[in-house]
Amino acid sequence: MTPLILNEVKDLLARTATTVKRIVGMPNYDAYVAHLRAHDPDCAIPNEKEYYDLYLEGKYNGGPGSRCC
Amino acid sequence: MIVGVLRFAQDEVLLPDSSYLFNMPIIWMLVAAIGAAGWGMLALHRGETVSAAWLVLAAVGTYLIAYRFYSRFIATKVLSLDDSIVTPAHRLTNGRDFVPTSRWVLFGHHFAAIAGAGPLVGPVLAAQFGYLPGTIWIVVGVILGGAVQDFVILAGSVRRNGKSLGQMAKEEIGPFTGVLAMIAILAIMVILIAVLTLIVVKALAESPWGVFTILCTIPIALGMGFWMKVIRPGKTMEATIAGVALLLLALVGGQYVAASPTLGPMFTLTATTISWGLMGYGFIASVLPVWMLLAPRDYLSTFVKIATVVALGLGIVITLPNLQLPAVTRFVDGTGPVFAGGLFPFCFITIACGAISGFHSLVSSGTTPKMLDKESDARVIGYGAMLMESFVAIMAICAASILDPGVYFAMNSPLALLGGGSADGVVTAVHNWGFTLAPGQMDAVAKAMGETTLISRTGGAPTLAVGMANIFAGVFGRGLTALWYHFAIMFEALFILTSIDAGTRVGRFMVQELGGLIWKPLGRVSSWPSTIIASALIVAAWGWFLIQGVTDPLGGINSLWPLFGISNQLLAAVALSVGTTLTIRAGRARYAWVTLLPLTWLLAITSTAAWQKIFSADPRLGFLSHVAQTAAKVASGGLDATKGSRMIVNDRVDAALCGLFLVITWAVVISSVRVWLRGRNSEPALLAASAALAA
Repeated sequence: MTPLILNEVKDLLARTATTVKRIVGMPNYDAYVAHLRAHDPDCAIPNEKEYYDLYLEGKYNGGPGSRCC
Repeated sequence: MIVGVLRFAQDEVLLPDSSYLFNMPIIWMLVAAIGAAGWGMLALHRGETVSAAWLVLAAVGTYLIAYRFYSRFIATKVLSLDDSIVTPAHRLTNGRDFVPTSRWVLFGHHFAAIAGAGPLVGPVLAAQFGYLPGTIWIVVGVILGGAVQDFVILAGSVRRNGKSLGQMAKEEIGPFTGVLAMIAILAIMVILIAVLTLIVVKALAESPWGVFTILCTIPIALGMGFWMKVIRPGKTMEATIAGVALLLLALVGGQYVAASPTLGPMFTLTATTISWGLMGYGFIASVLPVWMLLAPRDYLSTFVKIATVVALGLGIVITLPNLQLPAVTRFVDGTGPVFAGGLFPFCFITIACGAISGFHSLVSSGTTPKMLDKESDARVIGYGAMLMESFVAIMAICAASILDPGVYFAMNSPLALLGGGSADGVVTAVHNWGFTLAPGQMDAVAKAMGETTLISRTGGAPTLAVGMANIFAGVFGRGLTALWYHFAIMFEALFILTSIDAGTRVGRFMVQELGGLIWKPLGRVSSWPSTIIASALIVAAWGWFLIQGVTDPLGGINSLWPLFGISNQLLAAVALSVGTTLTIRAGRARYAWVTLLPLTWLLAITSTAAWQKIFSADPRLGFLSHVAQTAAKVASGGLDATKGSRMIVNDRVDAALCGLFLVITWAVVISSVRVWLRGRNSEPALLAASAALAA
C-alpha cells in the first residue's frame, strides 16, 4: 500500500472514532483543544487527564436529562 | 464510493426539503400506498398467521408520511424554526456540553439517550391484548403525541439556552408548577428504577448463566474505569473496545459456569437475594466517583444497545417471521393474566415509551438542545429520533408475537394463575384461556434457551429474549440459540443496571435539592453526610417498591408496571402543558391543538387508569378492593396476619401514590389553563425570547 492510501485509511478511522465518540457521549480531547485554541489562543490548555475530570463532572454530576428509561 | 452513496442517501432520500427526490409527489404516493398495503394486510388477515413484514411496512410507511408532512407543518407553522437564529451550541459554545454537533451524529446521540428498556418491555406486556392494539397505539401515538412532545420541548429549550423542563415550567407557568414538576420527576424516577430493577430480578432469578454474566460486568467496568482514569487518562475508546470483548467472553463463559456442579449452585440466586444485592449495588454506585462505575458502564451499555437494536432490526427484516399471536385476544375485556385491566385505558398505559414517553422531555431539555447546530435540525432530532424509538417498540411487538401464544402466556402469567407452576397446572391454565400448550413444550423451550424453567418468567425481558433468540437463530442457525437468549438478557440487564446507577445518582441530587429547601445542610451536594443520607433515602424508596414487587403473589408487574406507565404519562402531560403554554404565549394559539390533542388523550387515559387502579371493585385491578379482600382473608384465617398486614400497607401506599399522580397532573393542567387564558393577549414570549437571543 502506498502511504497515500494509508493516510486516507487513518483519516477515515479517526473520523469514525470521532463520530462514535460523539454519539456515545464520550470525551473528545482533541476537539476540546481545537475549540480552546480557536476561541482563545492564549488560554491555558488542560492536559488530557484534567480534561477527563472536567468532562465527567459536567456530564454526570448535573441534574436529570442525560438518559431515559 | 460508499461515502458517495451515504451522501446521496443523506442529501436526497432522508431529508432536506429542498432536495429533488424529497419533493416528488410520486415518491410520497408510493410510500403512502406501501403503508396502506401493510395496514390492509394486518386488517384482512384475521384468524390466520400473518408475516411481520406487513407490520413493519405499515409502521414505516406511516412514519415517513408523518415525518414528511406533519413534522414539517409543526416546524414551519407552530414553531417557526429559523436557521438565522444562532443556537445555544454556538452562542454559549464551551467545547464540553455546549458543542455544535452535526445533525446525524446528534440524531444518534439523542436516540441512544432516549431508547432504553421502556420501549422493549411495554409492548411485550401489552401483547396480551394481541399484536394489533399495541401496534396501532405505538404508531398513532408516536406521530400525534410522542414525537410532537419531544420536538416541541426540544425547540422550546433551544430558544431558552437549553433550559430544563422544570425550569421552563417554573418560568412559563409559575413557581408552584415548577415544584410540582420536580416532585413528579422524583416520583417517576423512584417508580422507574423500582420497576426496571424488578424486570432484571425476574430475568436473573434462578439463572446462574445470567447472574454470572451480569456480575462480570462490575469488575469489567471497574477495570475500564481504572484504565481511563489512571493508566491512560481519557482513552475511552480503547478501554470500551476491550470491555465489550471481555463482556462477550463472560457471556460465553457463563454457559460453563451454569453447567458446573460446584459453580452453578453458587450463582443460582433467589429473587429476594438478587433484590438486596441490587439495592446495595445501587447505593454504592451512586456514592462512588463517576469514573469508577458509572462512566465505563455507560459506554459499554450504549455500544451494546445500539449494536443490538440494529442487529434486531436486520434480523426481523432478514427472517420476516410469521406472527403467531392473534391480532386481538379475548383479554381486551380486562381479564388477562399478564396484568389486570381492559384495553382502554391499560393498553395506552402499558405502552408508554414507544408511543409517548414523558421522560424524553427531560432529554429534549437536557443535553440535546445544547448541541443543536441549526434550529431546523430539531425536526429530525426531536421528531425523527422518536419515530426511531417507536420502531424499536414495533420490533419488540414482533419479537413477542412470533412466539407460540401458549408459550407467551405460560411465561408471562403469575404462578398463582398457572396452577402453582406444576406441569399439568400450566397446561390446564393455558387451555382454559383458549390457547394450546403441549405437555413438555415449556421444558423444551427452556432447554433450548439454556434455562431450567421459563414458566412464569414475568416482566417481559425473558419473553423478548426468547423472541430475539428465535430471530437471531433464524439468521445464524439453531446451534447458538441459548447463547442468543443470554445475550439478549445481558443486553437488557446491562442498560437497566446503567439506569439504576444513573437514576439513583440523579435521584440523590434531586433529594438534596428538594431537601435543601427544607433544611439547608441537606442541599450541599458535595457534603458526605448529605450524600449518604440522600442516597440511602432514594435507594430505600425504590427498594421498598422492588421488594413489594418481588414478594407480591400477583407477580409485582401487575401493580408496578401500571404505576410506572401512569407516572410516565403524567410527566408527558406536564411536558405537553408546558409545550401548549409556549405555543400560546408565542401568539400561535390557533395551532395550540397540536399539543392539546395528545394532552387531552393523555388526561383521559391517565385519569381513568389511576381511578381504576385505586377504586375498581376487581381486587386484581383496584388497590383498595385488594385491601378489602386481603383483610377478609386474614379475618377468616386463610392468610398469615403479618403477611396480610404487609400486603395491605403496600396496597395503600400504591393507592396513595396513584392519587398523588392524579392530583399533580390536574394541578399542573389547571394552572397552565389559567396561564393560557391570561396569556392570550400578552407579549409573545417565545418570539420575544428569540429576538433577544438574536440580538
